[in-house]
Amino acid sequence: CGRGSAPRSMPEIRVTPLGAGQDVGRSCILVSIAGKNVMLDCGMHMGFSDDRRFPDFSYITRNGRLTDFLDCVIISHFHLDHCGALPYFSEMVGYDGPIYMTHPTQAICPILLEDYRKIAVDKKGEANFFTSQMIKDCMKKVVAVHLHQTVQVDDELEIKAYYAGHVLGAAMFQIKVGSESVVYTGDYNMTPDRHLGAAWIDKCRPNLLITESTYATTIRDSKRCRERDFLKKVHEAVERGGKVLIPVFALGRAQELCILLETFWERMNLKAPIYFSTGLTEKANHYYKLFITWTNQKIRKTFVQRNMFEFKHIKAFDRAFADNPGPMVVFATPGMLHAGQSLQIFRKWAGNEKNMVIMPGYCVQGTVGHKILSGQRKLEMEGRQVLEVKMQVEYMSFSAHADAKGIMQLVGQAEPESVLLVHGEAKKMEFLKQKIEQEL
Amino acid sequence: MESAEDWLVESLRLYQDFHAFDLSGATRVLEWIGDKGVFVAGYESLKKNEILHLILPLRLSVKENQGLCPERDFKVCHGGFSDASVFELKHVPDTRLLVTTGLPGSYLHVWQVAEDSDVIQAVSTIAVPEKEGGLWPRVAIFSSMAPGVLHGVRLRSLKVVDLESQKTTYTSGVSDSEELSSLQVLAADTFAFSCASGRLGLVDIRQKWAPSETISPGAGAAGGRWCAEVGGRGPGPSIASLGSNGQLCLFDPRDLSHPVSSAQCSVSAPSPDPELLRVTWAPGLDNCLAISGFDGTVQVYDATSWDGAGRQVEPLFTHRGHIFLEDNQTDTAPLVTTHTWHPHKSRTLLSAASDASLHVWDWVDTRAAH
Repeated sequence: CGRGSAPRSMPEIRVTPLGAGQDVGRSCILVSIAGKNVMLDCGMHMGFSDDRRFPDFSYITRNGRLTDFLDCVIISHFHLDHCGALPYFSEMVGYDGPIYMTHPTQAICPILLEDYRKIAVDKKGEANFFTSQMIKDCMKKVVAVHLHQTVQVDDELEIKAYYAGHVLGAAMFQIKVGSESVVYTGDYNMTPDRHLGAAWIDKCRPNLLITESTYATTIRDSKRCRERDFLKKVHEAVERGGKVLIPVFALGRAQELCILLETFWERMNLKAPIYFSTGLTEKANHYYKLFITWTNQKIRKTFVQRNMFEFKHIKAFDRAFADNPGPMVVFATPGMLHAGQSLQIFRKWAGNEKNMVIMPGYCVQGTVGHKILSGQRKLEMEGRQVLEVKMQVEYMSFSAHADAKGIMQLVGQAEPESVLLVHGEAKKMEFLKQKIEQEL
Repeated sequence: MESAEDWLVESLRLYQDFHAFDLSGATRVLEWIGDKGVFVAGYESLKKNEILHLILPLRLSVKENQGLCPERDFKVCHGGFSDASVFELKHVPDTRLLVTTGLPGSYLHVWQVAEDSDVIQAVSTIAVPEKEGGLWPRVAIFSSMAPGVLHGVRLRSLKVVDLESQKTTYTSGVSDSEELSSLQVLAADTFAFSCASGRLGLVDIRQKWAPSETISPGAGAAGGRWCAEVGGRGPGPSIASLGSNGQLCLFDPRDLSHPVSSAQCSVSAPSPDPELLRVTWAPGLDNCLAISGFDGTVQVYDATSWDGAGRQVEPLFTHRGHIFLEDNQTDTAPLVTTHTWHPHKSRTLLSAASDASLHVWDWVDTRAAH
């Protein structure tokens, strides 16, 4: 079981992070509130490739079945460190109760889980892993919820989702039993970006607010400067005649980065072509259309008028273009370079030092993305072929998390009685504790 | 009026690297600890101020493979609370101690940065003999086996107090009532002082008060308020004195009687808050200075070819980020409260402003031929 700095007087509420390792990397928290038991998130620890990547459910199962013990499971968003262990949990350990999540999360989770399964089993030859069928069976247990909709789990337990920003469909959840309530933030962001709004919660005054401590001790570089860095890199590569590959997950940053590049190209009157692979746009359009209310005001306005990926400077990609001479920028899936079009393009362009690949997010172990981000410059591909990576490799962090300031803003909005910071060392957070206490 | 977006596009050409942060409170302090950490502290008078020990984003610390390092955020390593406003903070080298000063000016505060937790704890105070309404003592640290705190509001109240025993080990012993604007320890036994009037002096504490100094009433014949800094790299003069009207005078420490050169910086108006005036020497560039405290900019000058004529000079570079990235939450334009150079990266500076922004920027020297 894990640790967190425990609240002083909360006889009816108990919080237990589940996990073999205490470090950050996987979210899975058990909350007991007035006799009800709720599991918050069921994440995979991306740093391990053995059983340590799964949460440790034996804490619960030694006393009986998960289904009997848990009243429900809540998943905050589709990132694998929050939902990656869900099929293992429900189908291999065994849980038949309800799994609550927002509609976008329900739609996107299975795609990511299947992708991850493919990498683990096909690329790494793992045995003890969930199957495609298990993912499907797991998703059948999902009950999708709307924002601000009070959902009665049973006569006493109710839950409500709040907008969290961060990624499409991410939510913070309020769990209420009678007069006791807990708010779990999952991952959230207090500043709006180009395609998502900022997290928001009403003055619900929960007894306890549970949030990650990882980012509580950071002061985040502004979004604008991250964007500037991205533009600078792309511009530099294109100026020297290089080709820039940006592997993306269709529903992550792709949309936002496209908007950014389009604006920049327009302003600078740049001529180098920008492409996105069609698979990307079809999928993204489909989901954004479905979940338009989850995006921000600006996107909604654009979408009403036309296709979200209708850009002036960004066109659909054709495989043949990869061999065209001269500079270009291509957004292609999948995001970790583990298969498909992005890997194909990577193989073509890797040998030229004028070219650049920009990885916009974390890559799972075993993928080409992970290898090049670890500094590997010689890759063994299929058929024992060795690929020498001479192109410039850049790792940019675009994920949107709240920082120390953001946490204080959320605490100011929700007005909790107590705050619980998970995944931190109590001794190392005394100052933060004092700071929050002053705000409460 | 350029928008923030326009400026950011422009910044691609002007800066090699640029980071912008929002602190929870504005700071007038940017004090290095090693080359990876800085202290910042709030200066509000009506509420608790935070003192923070921040670790530089990893990206700025790695020497190789910077492209593979996505970490762009500051990490809050330690924090503490001060009831008094903090105008100056000095780290006691080779210890985990800090000394702060500000208003009200009756005490200096000594703090300890905890080793096994994230707390900056108040440990003691040092009484300031001369208590005066709106004035606060300047501070500098003599680091040695027994560190001493040099402090004073006026020349007559200058003293060194042993940090541990709190015994006074040195006093100026003069009755001169000139108000101090800065103190700087130069070596084991010498320090430099500058007065608000522009008067400068170098003092050896082993001797009775006999500083080598500028001729009174000081370089600031035009009036206004002055501050100074000793530093500089390269063959030229190494003491810079900056006036609130934008005049900059450079002195050779061997002969303070007359400035070696002077110039009129390109400032549109005198400083609205001369206590925020700051002039610093670049540790990694010859004859290069930065100034701030006039508006929302930091200006970098190359003093190599300056003469004694006090001519108007153009900056090598002007950092305008604090103006263009301002969040528009206040009506008044932000004022840069302090700035400092990175100890090793020759063109990297940190600057802070009254809107609680903190920037780290690496400017491009457009003179450099390709």
